[in-house]
Amino acid sequence: MTLTKETIEAYSVFKKEPNFFTEKRLAAWIKADSLSLPSFQKIRYQKWPIQLQNDLKKEADTWPDDLLFTPSENQLVECGTTTVKCQLDEALTAQGVILTDLDDALKKHADLMETYFMTTAVKADENKLTAQHQALVSSGALLYIPKNTVIKEPITSYFIQNALQKKDYVHHVLIIADTNSEVSYLENLLTVGDVANTANIVVEVIAKAGSHVKFASFDRLGANTTTYLNRRGYLENDAKIDWSMGMMNDGNIVGDFDSDLKGAGSHAEVKVIAISTGKQVQGIDTRVTNYGKHSIGHILQHGVILAKSALIFNGIGHIIHGAKGADAQQESRVLMLSTKARGDANPILLIDDNDVSAGHAASVGRVDQSQLYYLMSRGLPQKIAERLVIRGFLGPVLTAVPNVTVRRQLSDMIEEKLVNGQADE
Amino acid sequence: MSTLKIKDLHVEIENKEILKGVNLTMKSGEIHAIMGPNGTGKSTLSESIMGNPAYKVTQGDILIDGQSILDKPVDERARLGLFLAMQYPAEIPGVTNAEFIRGAINARRPKENPISIRQFLKDLSKTMDFLDMTDEMAERYLNEGFSGGEKKRNEILQMMMIKPKFAILDEIDSGLDIDALKVVSKGVNEMRGPEFSAFIITHYQRLLNYIVPDVVHVMMGGKIVKTGGPELAKKLEDEGYAGLRDELGLDIKLTDENA
Repeated sequence: MTLTKETIEAYSVFKKEPNFFTEKRLAAWIKADSLSLPSFQKIRYQKWPIQLQNDLKKEADTWPDDLLFTPSENQLVECGTTTVKCQLDEALTAQGVILTDLDDALKKHADLMETYFMTTAVKADENKLTAQHQALVSSGALLYIPKNTVIKEPITSYFIQNALQKKDYVHHVLIIADTNSEVSYLENLLTVGDVANTANIVVEVIAKAGSHVKFASFDRLGANTTTYLNRRGYLENDAKIDWSMGMMNDGNIVGDFDSDLKGAGSHAEVKVIAISTGKQVQGIDTRVTNYGKHSIGHILQHGVILAKSALIFNGIGHIIHGAKGADAQQESRVLMLSTKARGDANPILLIDDNDVSAGHAASVGRVDQSQLYYLMSRGLPQKIAERLVIRGFLGPVLTAVPNVTVRRQLSDMIEEKLVNGQADE
Repeated sequence: MSTLKIKDLHVEIENKEILKGVNLTMKSGEIHAIMGPNGTGKSTLSESIMGNPAYKVTQGDILIDGQSILDKPVDERARLGLFLAMQYPAEIPGVTNAEFIRGAINARRPKENPISIRQFLKDLSKTMDFLDMTDEMAERYLNEGFSGGEKKRNEILQMMMIKPKFAILDEIDSGLDIDALKVVSKGVNEMRGPEFSAFIITHYQRLLNYIVPDVVHVMMGGKIVKTGGPELAKKLEDEGYAGLRDELGLDIKLTDENA
């Protein structure tokens, strides 16, 4: 069946979604036609199969018994558009914490969804892909932390894109940290199966005044998945978001990571580690925008490229007029292990005020032969020696990741991705 | 019993011939000193034996127990028993000294039988003690921010832990004060035995007071020009390289010689 306004409406009715949401879907679908694809410097993805064209599927997903996730408390696990597990500690529920999937959020928490879903951080009419996202979103999560609530244990999610069949993956995570709350959230994005598919994923983090969100993600989408991944923070006064993202995907992906520092004294720390292997292209556009006075936006991203793959890091620090005392710093570094790899690190600073501090560092380089020679002269095979040098290169980002568990998991995933990538060479 | 044999070795770097036919044989249990003025090819010889890809062998051969190792990459040579204590060890951030040394030991063992961590730490601590190294050196990143003396000690530490058959010590004495020199020598002497042999490359006789060699070779102009016992080193100390050159009637210009 071809995708039309009517089929979208029928899906929304079938899902018993509230009216406001059906209307948002339809409005976005109509708007999408007239919008352009977003453009990012040096990332040429426009010809990829990144646009959503397939009709929404009503059937539930099925999955193999050995679905890969590590069970823990306070966890949401989804495969495709179907929820596998949703569990939250009773004490947290009693405090008003909400952790639920998209269907349930639209039914039971329509007020929150109407207020925040693609209204504040990401807007549906920003570009063609965000509009398509709003029109066709079919899975996701809502995490709400009430005022003054501090959650000690991390909330974990596994979002497993189902590539056992032809099915677009349109996934939306909405995190709302209310005033003075604190939460640590660990997200795993992965793929089961190897059918070629398109993924369009949006994560919105609304950090209200004085809140603190530690967001960590381990992204391991499959080789045949083409992805638009948009993660955006909206920070009010004195709010803080620590982003730690491990881009270990195997397919082509555009990462569009923004932090809007709206409030005075708001603070975003963005750490990205990316490894590209095989023939894949990972284009990562990380932006911090300082609107608030004395707001702080720091970007630190290091990446490694193997084989014939490509990795592009854009770092954008934008200080808006009036953001007195704001600070925007960034460092992007790319290490190439192969002569056929392509790497780019583009620092972009846009400063519209005087009384600010801003800085950037960027580099693209090859692995240091004298280091490799030294390690190998002690009997270490070349591939192990390379991995040690890479570890050293990624070290500054890894050690800056605030959570020890996240750091360890990231480190294991890096090793796994490198071993697999080296086997491909 | 193992033998390292260098046969008529010619080596180029950046199209310039540095070694012009070196012949040497070293058997297990022996310590050989290679002396010579600056720019005569001593470091080129050690890097070529180890297999540094920047050095190109144009003629001759390097053999371990009769097998040529010329087509083997540096890591394979290391696993065959070669070890080069480098003049300028690389710094590797993010990798601790201890995990590196453990990795190097395990690279020589079957995959399913790595050294136990407890045994490794025990050996490491004992060896570091022997070399007057503080415990924190084990957890520091490999050579990063090490002083010149610390780097040299760390090379000897690796040698003692890895226990190679053939060690090449490239100017291990350069930049060391007398105490550090004694410690380094103590390490080499500890290794002495029927399973170990070493080339000690040095400018100065001083080191050879602490590590007494079985054989002394003098290199000039990319060749071994004279071989003898420990007394040869003493003679050089007294008469200098120019004296030996003139005695041998060689037409070689020494780098540091005033014209």
